[in-house]
Amino acid sequence: MPLDYPIHEKTLPNGLRVIVSPDASVPNVTVNVWVNVGSRHEAPGRTGFAHLFEHLMFQGSRNVASGEHFTRLMAEGGRLNATTWFDRTNYFETVPKGAYELALWMEADRHGHLLDAVNQENLDNQRDVVKEEKRQRYDNVPYGHALIETYAAVFPPEHPYHHPTIGSMEDLDAASVEDVHAFFRRFYGPNNTVLTLVGDLTPEEGFAAAERYFGELPASAEPARGNLPQLAPITEPVRVERVEDVPNDRLHVAFRLPVDNTEEFFAAHLALDIIGGLATSRLVQRLVRREQVANAAQAHAMGFVDGVSLGFIVLDIADGQDPDTVEARALEELERFANDGPTAVEMESALAQAERSWLHALASQEERADVISQHALLHDDPQFVNTYLDRLMAITPEQVQAAADQWLRPHSRAVVAHLVATEEEAA
Amino acid sequence: MSTRPDVIPPQPWAFPEPQRHELANGISLVTYDIPGQYVVSVRTVLPLPLAAEPREREGIATITARLLDEGTARHTSEEFAELLERKGIALGAGMSDSGLSVDLDVPKRRLAEALDLLRQALGEPVFPQAEVTRHLKTRLAEIEQERAMAPQRAAREFIATFFDDADRASRPSGGTHESVSAIAREDIVDFHRRFVGPRGMTVVVAGDLSGLDVAALAGESLGQWVHDGQEVAEGADAPAARAADATRIVLVDRPGSVQSELSVGCAGPDRRVDGGWSPYPVLAFVLGGSPNARVDAVLREEKGFTYGIRSGFRPRRRGGLFLTNGSVRADSTVESVRLLLDILESGREGFSESEVRAGVDFISKTAPGRFATADAVADEAAGLALEGLTTAFTTENLQAMQDLDSDALVTAYTRWVDRQWTVVVVGDASLYADQLKELGRGDVSVVPN
Repeated sequence: MPLDYPIHEKTLPNGLRVIVSPDASVPNVTVNVWVNVGSRHEAPGRTGFAHLFEHLMFQGSRNVASGEHFTRLMAEGGRLNATTWFDRTNYFETVPKGAYELALWMEADRHGHLLDAVNQENLDNQRDVVKEEKRQRYDNVPYGHALIETYAAVFPPEHPYHHPTIGSMEDLDAASVEDVHAFFRRFYGPNNTVLTLVGDLTPEEGFAAAERYFGELPASAEPARGNLPQLAPITEPVRVERVEDVPNDRLHVAFRLPVDNTEEFFAAHLALDIIGGLATSRLVQRLVRREQVANAAQAHAMGFVDGVSLGFIVLDIADGQDPDTVEARALEELERFANDGPTAVEMESALAQAERSWLHALASQEERADVISQHALLHDDPQFVNTYLDRLMAITPEQVQAAADQWLRPHSRAVVAHLVATEEEAA
Repeated sequence: MSTRPDVIPPQPWAFPEPQRHELANGISLVTYDIPGQYVVSVRTVLPLPLAAEPREREGIATITARLLDEGTARHTSEEFAELLERKGIALGAGMSDSGLSVDLDVPKRRLAEALDLLRQALGEPVFPQAEVTRHLKTRLAEIEQERAMAPQRAAREFIATFFDDADRASRPSGGTHESVSAIAREDIVDFHRRFVGPRGMTVVVAGDLSGLDVAALAGESLGQWVHDGQEVAEGADAPAARAADATRIVLVDRPGSVQSELSVGCAGPDRRVDGGWSPYPVLAFVLGGSPNARVDAVLREEKGFTYGIRSGFRPRRRGGLFLTNGSVRADSTVESVRLLLDILESGREGFSESEVRAGVDFISKTAPGRFATADAVADEAAGLALEGLTTAFTTENLQAMQDLDSDALVTAYTRWVDRQWTVVVVGDASLYADQLKELGRGDVSVVPN
């Protein structure tokens, strides 16, 4: 099905890339800002900083009081937040049409004049909040560190994806107000930012409003560095074991993948879907349904830009089963798939599920704006929303098999095993 | 810097108007045409009280729901899964306090095939023994996972403490290890035969329906389902009974825990409450609905004890709960509980004009966006249908909200929030059990994780 979401684009003299996608189906406008800074840009000893910084963006700026970004926009019927990830930081709000200029004005104030409001008290408070976020999401959760350990096992030390976005407690403690100033000056500025507006407005209205509120900001960010070259697959298996108080054994079996927005990444993603992601995947059919040695099998692919992406399979080992045996059977399936490639039915299934999930993601203005910003900022490809499905449907079974052959062989795996502590080990 | 722009208020909004049909077998079909929504959402709901489950087989409704697509009269479990996947269909089923739900999302052009598979899943499941065994094992493993996760563990302890032991509501809707272990295939076959049928069922279809005759498609598939022996289990007319000793603090002990998970609550209304439902979403927002609501203004933005704590009124078919949940740094547990209860009780004293406006405007002005997608529209319509309501309720509730003031909010709030709290803390009990007693909020007891 060809998609035809309108994409209008303009770059302001200060470098701000503005994209407007009119959609009058709801009387709202989504304001979505992507900044080209994430945890991949963090300096040694300052892990977690990009995310801590994002919290400070809600603590006031030159003309906006601390907390006002949330309170004012929510009181106008806005739904808003921000997130930080390896590659980028995004800020977004969906508001009734009559409030979108206020949202833009508030975004421009913090993206241009944050430092007027940053102080030690704000930093200390949000550092505490972020530490609780870390405890809630990672430290106080069974298997909570599994992905963090996976990044460290798959990516080399010193690589930008070796450490997690949430960072470490020690590095969060070390962050200073001076760091906030330096980070803002280096990375924040219209020339390192994409602004997408989706909703009930015309391109002319959107461009004029962007110019009105962001036009006066200087092109203050330092030029972005180029992306790192592609990493090759791991050559020898890596294994990390953690014996913990967890309900059952769980294995993360992880691989390096090609960078995002390439045919090779799409092919590797389809291969992972067929091996472990679908409800009819090979691992689900064999390990969960037929042999019943795993409670669940899943697979995920995370696309990144800095020379590598991540793919991983999660196996929840059934009670009384040996995790090594289950792993060995999973590896047999990986070998078989890399040798033989997908069947016609598997390709049909993976593409059908990918289509539904893509159309579902684009169904909301918010997610559509986010996808547009993502591909404009990281891939210079704002039309991606319209072209992705056609590109995906053109992937051949041979490409899928080739991707598995190159990236998903057992010897290229890193395994993070979380194993149930026996009584003696727990004591 | 440019000057701060003024805001132009939005126009009033109403929930989309559905088309209604009755299929030949009595199923009520409700359709919402939402142009541009290419994934169509189908929600099938059947009112069915959890109390219909045999006491010693609790969880059977959940297991029955999960097994609907695991083998039918015409297809094995694997064949059925493949049919769904090749057509891009996502199907899920579950059981709540109010009834059984089967949800399906599908690209528009596959709707006819999807409805036919949905009918087979609902009407012709055969519950193969191997699939029954697997799903029972999976549910038992899931119970252990829930025990390991603090929010789920807190929720389980909360209902066990708040509701009377004799009431079904005091036990997990998906059953316990003991009750799930007691379920056999014949029990599931019997439960499905007795209770799952077209009588009382509502099917909601939402999405871009242009060019589709949904009534005809549904009539040819779901409308053909005949089940003469279906029993209709009536739910109780009264809310679930509160335990006589519900006003107390229970610590679920987890030595070494770096955070404490808090679950604090009391009785709340259902959507048919006298005086109307409209005050309650506003109250929840003002007290605990955002990073700058009353609770987080102190516990997060002033103290830095938490990443965020949220309040919500949770309506059940009859009666409901007012719950506040979140996790706090372990060494702030006692102060957090003290502050949290004081802040929640401050709602009894009144609300500022700006709080009232902010709450009303947030709930009402976000509605067009919250209900912009096919799945959100279908979920709202299906959730209300389980309680015998339509989405006219959503529109009327938003209209009634416009007239709220501080007095109306206080009247609604004090009706439920009477300073009698059930408090559950999942964390390291040895650190603060004694100090929690000194808060004077009821007896403190410690239970193992």
